[in-house]
Amino acid sequence: MATRRRGDRRRTKAHREFVSEAEEILERRRDELTDLADGRGRGAEPDPELVNRLFRSAHSLKGLSGMFGLDGISELSHHLEDVLDRLRLGRTQLDDAALALLDDSVALIGSALEKLEDGDAAGVDEEAALLIGRIDAWTAAPAPSDAPGELELDPAMLRALTEYEEHRLRENVRRGRRIHVVDASFDILSFEEGLAELTAAVREVGEVLSTLPSPGESPESQIRFSLLVASELDAAALAARLELPADAVRSGSRRAGEASAAQPPPDAPETRDEELAAPARETDPDAGDGGPLELGSLKSISETVRVDIRKLDELMNLVGELVIQRGALAKLARTLRHDPATARAGAELEKVHKGLERKLQELQAGVLEVRMVPLRQVFEKLSRVVRRLRRDTDKEVRLEIRGADTELDKLIVEELVDPLMHVVRNAFDHAIESAEERQAAGKSREGSIRLEAYQRGNDVVIAATDDGRGIDVEAVRRRAVERGLLAPGDELSRKELLDLVFAPGLSTRGEVTETSGRGVGMDVVRANITALGGVVDLDSIAGRGTTVTMTLPITLAIIQALIVGAADQRFAIPLNSVRETLLLDPRDVQRSDGRELLNLRGEALPLRRLALEFQLGASEREQKQYAVVLGIGDARLGLLVDRLEGQQDVVIKPIQGPVRSVRGIAGATELGDAGAVLVLDVSALVDDARAREVREATGRRAP
Amino acid sequence: MSESAATGPRSFEALARAAARRDALDERSLRREFVTFTLDGDPYALPIERVREIVRMRPITPVPRVPAAIRGVISLRGEVVEVLDLRRRLGMPERAPTRASRIIVLHGDDGAVTGLLVDSVRDVLRITEEHVRPASGGEADSVAALLARGDQFVSLLDLERVLELAG
Repeated sequence: MATRRRGDRRRTKAHREFVSEAEEILERRRDELTDLADGRGRGAEPDPELVNRLFRSAHSLKGLSGMFGLDGISELSHHLEDVLDRLRLGRTQLDDAALALLDDSVALIGSALEKLEDGDAAGVDEEAALLIGRIDAWTAAPAPSDAPGELELDPAMLRALTEYEEHRLRENVRRGRRIHVVDASFDILSFEEGLAELTAAVREVGEVLSTLPSPGESPESQIRFSLLVASELDAAALAARLELPADAVRSGSRRAGEASAAQPPPDAPETRDEELAAPARETDPDAGDGGPLELGSLKSISETVRVDIRKLDELMNLVGELVIQRGALAKLARTLRHDPATARAGAELEKVHKGLERKLQELQAGVLEVRMVPLRQVFEKLSRVVRRLRRDTDKEVRLEIRGADTELDKLIVEELVDPLMHVVRNAFDHAIESAEERQAAGKSREGSIRLEAYQRGNDVVIAATDDGRGIDVEAVRRRAVERGLLAPGDELSRKELLDLVFAPGLSTRGEVTETSGRGVGMDVVRANITALGGVVDLDSIAGRGTTVTMTLPITLAIIQALIVGAADQRFAIPLNSVRETLLLDPRDVQRSDGRELLNLRGEALPLRRLALEFQLGASEREQKQYAVVLGIGDARLGLLVDRLEGQQDVVIKPIQGPVRSVRGIAGATELGDAGAVLVLDVSALVDDARAREVREATGRRAP
Repeated sequence: MSESAATGPRSFEALARAAARRDALDERSLRREFVTFTLDGDPYALPIERVREIVRMRPITPVPRVPAAIRGVISLRGEVVEVLDLRRRLGMPERAPTRASRIIVLHGDDGAVTGLLVDSVRDVLRITEEHVRPASGGEADSVAALLARGDQFVSLLDLERVLELAG
């Protein structure tokens, strides 16, 4: 039973993923179709790249829906592929009928996806079959034929062209563009990059009709290509533009030499053969010199490299290990300096160490920077979702985005998609009222959700603010009491009550709408963000709106930690959750109802002793103690420790073994000399302390 | 063309060689290999395929809130690995680690690793199937079988049971 349920859940998850991916494809296709129709309205030729994109999207949707057994959509996509293929091959012109077919198919698939989300796809296949019938009728119409253009091209090259490439060639000739053959050779190990750069450069001034490996002799480490190019530029200008030697671009059009188009075609092949073969042979002798020269000039275009994120992870780990080694070196230098016999060497070593530290910091920053990506992609995804929600419901909601250029570690950005999506959907579904309700409350009819990201020190803050109905703290209290999370008479501050929104199983609205990801609450959002080493916080004013604030470390790999000692053990505390540290006079510790407190500038700071919390054995009560003030959002906890041992950069590693997760421990790190040191999970400690207080208070009240 | 003519006999030869290798493999698979070690004076064994490496005693960092059998974690070239004290796990008298103590690092099925603290590691035992005896009932809890070595029996640990910890 249990396994079957899990299977079902997985299937529905896969299903949801399919629907959202299909929706994305469809969303793009809508935009592309609009562009296509606009272009036609202006009387322009359909942009071949646009038609290609549409063709590819039909192809992806065909595969995707086939995989999920949605035969109707798959079959329809297959026929659409046919239509688009004809358009891109120029076999048929884009006419009103074709545009209508494309538009209708998008509408049909869109409504099919909605039905699918409801779990009922009845009738989709029938509708698809009707549309397929119309498509078949359209494609049955005769295709116009096009006379081939006259060109000075190697017949071998012409034979190698695909039907599409041939069509593009004819089309370009028809429009009076010049046709050229561009020769280039690349290092065999990196030709893909070189070729991609050259292709990109050509695209700026024309169209690459075909890329063919060139048979000409070349040094062993080089590979030659001939690109068939259409451009307004003549051969010399094109060569200059591409920063290639003049003889690397040969003209394939007759019009360069003002030759008459009336010249009999049968002659052409021979002259062409010679013309094409000769330059190839000419460039061969100096290919040895020419090769590097061409490469050198190509390098000027080269500015980016694609790197596997795992390689960056390895690099990052290596830097992490180096950082640990540096720590050991620092300690050695200190030890040496404190011994009079070695003080001088110690001082020297310390100086060397300082230099090393600076360089290491630069290296670390450099590697980190490479991993950074802007939040833009995620934000764009969210704005697509809001656009779709707005279309599917009758709510009027505007999504404002600020700080999309803020950068975060790529891994974190990927993990942020789900929690952010959830927060935005929550705002859309639950927070923003209907237009009528808003008007009645004296607000603008259109609601707004603002997503804002900015960097603050070593953290990135992402805030989602809506101007909706806000959270009614009294409703939260009633709900929490119902669920047994709270005793009826408990005194909680507004903040503490709002924080209950993150408690598992507490949803502030009874109903769960289709779009909000049923049953998944803010507790999951908090869990996701905490897993990233981040903190999520919420503020709300009833009737005015809600702000969810997420604070995330810029990178996961290395964090700054405070090293503390309790009993005979050391622990690392992530510095981003340490607010301050205090040297404690035991007389300042007050007791209230069995709990220890500290008066911190007028606020009562609850205290926990780390040694007791983790049963580490007795630490001397009389001995001086430190309070590390931990902060998660607005919650504060004073953690009492015996020693403060300084700050250090640490690499958090997961603990492997039979016991995977220990409450209160986020992982471990290596400190160079003493093996593993545990890293505290501050948010779990703070949560537990608070939960215990609530529990104790409730327990005492109940007789 | 000459290549296609040569494939006939060559592949024939390859087939024959593969068949011979398979026979040798079958014979060898009957003979299994175990790492043997001692606990409280008695010999124990583990299938060698599960052993990734054997390391000397090193500082073990205690971990709070875990079953007592978990002595703590060690750092192993950047990995942090839990160490299970087999004496504690099997209910044997406590003894401080000595110079002979070793940590046997196991591969898990899921790629994760675990360390086992043992009194000492002895050798690799190679025996064939006929030397394997069923475990006596009383020890069925953590011993999977008995391996006959001369007139002595070595207890083969049931790793899945041993690693299954309460809590």
